[in-house]
Amino acid sequence: MKFLSKLAAKNLFRNKLRTLISIVVIAFAVMMVVVLRGFVLGMIDSMFELHIQYNSGHVKVIREKYEQKQRLLSLNYPVKGFENEGIEKMQQQIKELSEIKETIPRIKFGAAVSTKNKLITMMGWGVNPTKEVNFTDIEDYLVAGRMIKEGNKEIAVGTDLLTKLDAQVGDKLTIVYTTSWGSFKGSTVKIVGELDSGFKLLDEKSFYLPLSQAQKMLVLPDQATELLVETNNYRKVAKVMPDLKRLFQSQGVADDYLLKRWDQGNSIIQYLQIGRKIYNLIYIFVILLACLVVINTLLMIVKERRSEIGMLSALGLKSREILILFILEGLVLGVVGSFLGVIGGGIATKILSIVGIDYSAALADMEAELLMRPIFYPQFKMSNLIFSFILGVIVTTITAVIPAKKAADLNPTEALRN
Amino acid sequence: MNLLELKGIKKIYQQGQVEVPALRGIDLTIHRGEFTSVVGPSGSGKTTLLNLIGCLDTPTEGKIFFDNREIEKLSKEELALLRRYNLGFIFQEYNLIPVLSAYENVELALRLFDDIKEIEVEKRVKNILEAVGLADFAHHTPGELSGGQQQRVSIARALVKEPKLILADEPTANLDSKTSEEVLEVMVEMNQQLDTTFIFSTHDPLVWDYAQRIITLKDGQIAEEKSS
Repeated sequence: MKFLSKLAAKNLFRNKLRTLISIVVIAFAVMMVVVLRGFVLGMIDSMFELHIQYNSGHVKVIREKYEQKQRLLSLNYPVKGFENEGIEKMQQQIKELSEIKETIPRIKFGAAVSTKNKLITMMGWGVNPTKEVNFTDIEDYLVAGRMIKEGNKEIAVGTDLLTKLDAQVGDKLTIVYTTSWGSFKGSTVKIVGELDSGFKLLDEKSFYLPLSQAQKMLVLPDQATELLVETNNYRKVAKVMPDLKRLFQSQGVADDYLLKRWDQGNSIIQYLQIGRKIYNLIYIFVILLACLVVINTLLMIVKERRSEIGMLSALGLKSREILILFILEGLVLGVVGSFLGVIGGGIATKILSIVGIDYSAALADMEAELLMRPIFYPQFKMSNLIFSFILGVIVTTITAVIPAKKAADLNPTEALRN
Repeated sequence: MNLLELKGIKKIYQQGQVEVPALRGIDLTIHRGEFTSVVGPSGSGKTTLLNLIGCLDTPTEGKIFFDNREIEKLSKEELALLRRYNLGFIFQEYNLIPVLSAYENVELALRLFDDIKEIEVEKRVKNILEAVGLADFAHHTPGELSGGQQQRVSIARALVKEPKLILADEPTANLDSKTSEEVLEVMVEMNQQLDTTFIFSTHDPLVWDYAQRIITLKDGQIAEEKSS
């Protein structure tokens, strides 16, 4: 076996140009896989991350009836704790469960500001500033002023909304809204921060307000419209679901509340998960295309070396050993090509992961609800390089079986007659 | 003692709808240590006969016994092992692997053995290269060797495993008369030293002079048999 490997490696030096072309094609395909996969991982993970941070948490606790009305920002079905004891106690009980890291309450509500000639509608986010800053990257988007502080009657506003309001940090603003009782009210708040996140939802429509102020203004004492649960690992969220469900059952509110996992009930996330699987097929397809060159090369080699194959049979090599010899030649091509491809792809991905790819023009006309960063940063991950290398080697080796089988099946006398 | 016994061997090739008989009934016995030459014009069946003896092909009819084992009863894998341990081949075109050195080409035959030590491989390859006069060319690739030297490598490759039988198909066909003589001398020497059985196919009269026994084939049958 050792000698066959040595022979396979040496055989590749017979026609250096042909070997080089095969290696370059494999390297190019593997490089494409590395970059494409880095890009897809970067894009999908970024979308998952944003979806979790600004929409779903790892698990979102809402009232069953709120589900239908959340697009309308209804305040009629708030989370108000077990036996109406308030969300503080509910949060404590949830946090006592294993694998639960944090709970993040939010009140999302509709509000408006009347300017000289028009009414500007907005979406208010009543949040606990400390928890929000820890759970999301919102603070990174502050371009002016500071983040809101708990207890203060102040807001941080998306940058485009601020322009629409013709206001700036330091200004005071009177917002109008409907309370949970249905009464129409107005409050004056101070703008303390400007947020430029690149997400249309946050920049064009939203403002952040401390949770306690939102509860007071909207008459939602110790309540929230949703309670996000953060676990230790969002990919293992299925593990904590039974405990959570048990808690809600033991409190007798299992029918009233909905526990939504981040990856369920959102069509975009589900599409992305299917997309991930489809991309895996695309990677294999890309390498298979390159393997056509390898198959062609090896078939030519088999044709050229017919008499040598006959000689090897005469020498006592079994068909299986001849098969292995040619598969090994494919393997060597696969290993060298994939290695070079991984290096090239790794360098390209590393550069792109720092520079990023600007998608802002493409995202300009997209729905505001779609949380996407305008600049994607492909992920540079060792696991991606290893995956691409192994995929390159395996696919090349498997395809090498076709010409290798042709060599192994050659009749020795016919081969020698060549 | 008999090494090889052929009984009523017929070989018919199918070329499209036409049946082409290559051998029409050969009965032959080869003893250990014989230096036999199979001669005859082109198409007389020399190569076919050698292929059958070398277990590279099977007869259409008849039986071949190698070392008292009936070849027909062996599986493909067993035939490969029989060739590996008992047979050596020398080809007209040498069939050396161009990317391997003379040493490695010879070594290849021994590397197929399951239970051979590294030191034994080295010793046997060096000895045989020395015996065929190529000790100084061990690290040359076939492209760097003359035709005669390449054929010597091919002889060394066949001999290094010390097989019971060596089959040589037109071994001197591509060599000039001086080199042919040198190569034949080497084979005679090996035959005498190691008591290896040799069977040649040839139409080179020079080889006839070296052979102890000459079998003449004509139209797939033994036309004449001479022993010196």
